[in-house]
Amino acid sequence: MKHWNETDFNQLLYGVKDEDSHLRECAACRAELDRLRTVRQRVLAEPEVSQEFLDAQRRSIYNRLNHSMRNFAPLRWALSVGMLLVLAAGITIPRYLKSPVTLTTDEQLYSDLTAIEQTDEPKAIQPLHKLFEDQ
Amino acid sequence: MMGAMADRLSSRVESEASTREFGAWMASEQKRIFLLCKRMLQDIGEADSATQDTFIKAWQSLNRPGSADLENPGSWLTRIAVNTCLDRLRSRRWQFWRKRPAAQDEETILRLAPAPEPNAEDQIFAAEIGDRVQNALDKLSLRQRAVFALRHYEDRSLADIAGILDLDIGTVKVHLFRAIEKLREELHDLYFRGKQ
Repeated sequence: MKHWNETDFNQLLYGVKDEDSHLRECAACRAELDRLRTVRQRVLAEPEVSQEFLDAQRRSIYNRLNHSMRNFAPLRWALSVGMLLVLAAGITIPRYLKSPVTLTTDEQLYSDLTAIEQTDEPKAIQPLHKLFEDQ
Repeated sequence: MMGAMADRLSSRVESEASTREFGAWMASEQKRIFLLCKRMLQDIGEADSATQDTFIKAWQSLNRPGSADLENPGSWLTRIAVNTCLDRLRSRRWQFWRKRPAAQDEETILRLAPAPEPNAEDQIFAAEIGDRVQNALDKLSLRQRAVFALRHYEDRSLADIAGILDLDIGTVKVHLFRAIEKLREELHDLYFRGKQ
């Protein structure tokens, strides 16, 4: 008959292992488990927390809640509305700022094209001619 | 006109009532949540702000439009606290210059609860080993620490821990098993020292 060891007991105390037939039948192991459970109760005893500290902590929580309710909610709304306005302005304003397209008549377009076609030299050479004329 | 005013008044009365209700609930859970945060973070100052964050998140969540009634408010709050602590522990990994709390400050805030049988030696022993186990939590991964703290200090069932951490029971068991292995020395002194 193999008795439970330290690892077995630790695992049982922390819920990793279940009781088995040996533990149920062995008086020595049962007694050890009872002893361990007593120690465990001592572990579970919570330390006392000073009442002044808890009161101060609660006050601090209330202050933060009040602050977030009073200041942050309207601020968040204002920011959201502001962002929407900026976005809307960004979409609509450029439309009005665009310069209107100048429409040319068919005759004007035709005369421009024929003028280009009838010149022998490309337009880019014209400044060179000017240079020679000055000399 | 009168209707709108009455509506405003009644919503104000409701809001005051819910604030009072929340305040009472907070007072009943505050110490437990603070101790859990303290055990997970091992720092009184950080535990204090984590506790505050926990209740503020809880309030905001409860006041969100369409928030449903809670089946188990205690476990829900514990989940918020554990996640808040895990977030802080993750960000703390980069804060190697973090200041350790002064031992005297801790003593003024925390006092060891009197044992059922007043025995000075027992109390000193419990405090000493408690500190050692507490300090040894650094050996554990974040998940192992959360699982171990909930089991060791709050004596929660594995199913409850699984629910709080959103894990399955098998995973909780694995985390606990590994935590016990890593804390073997401390647990030996806690449970078996007197036997030798």
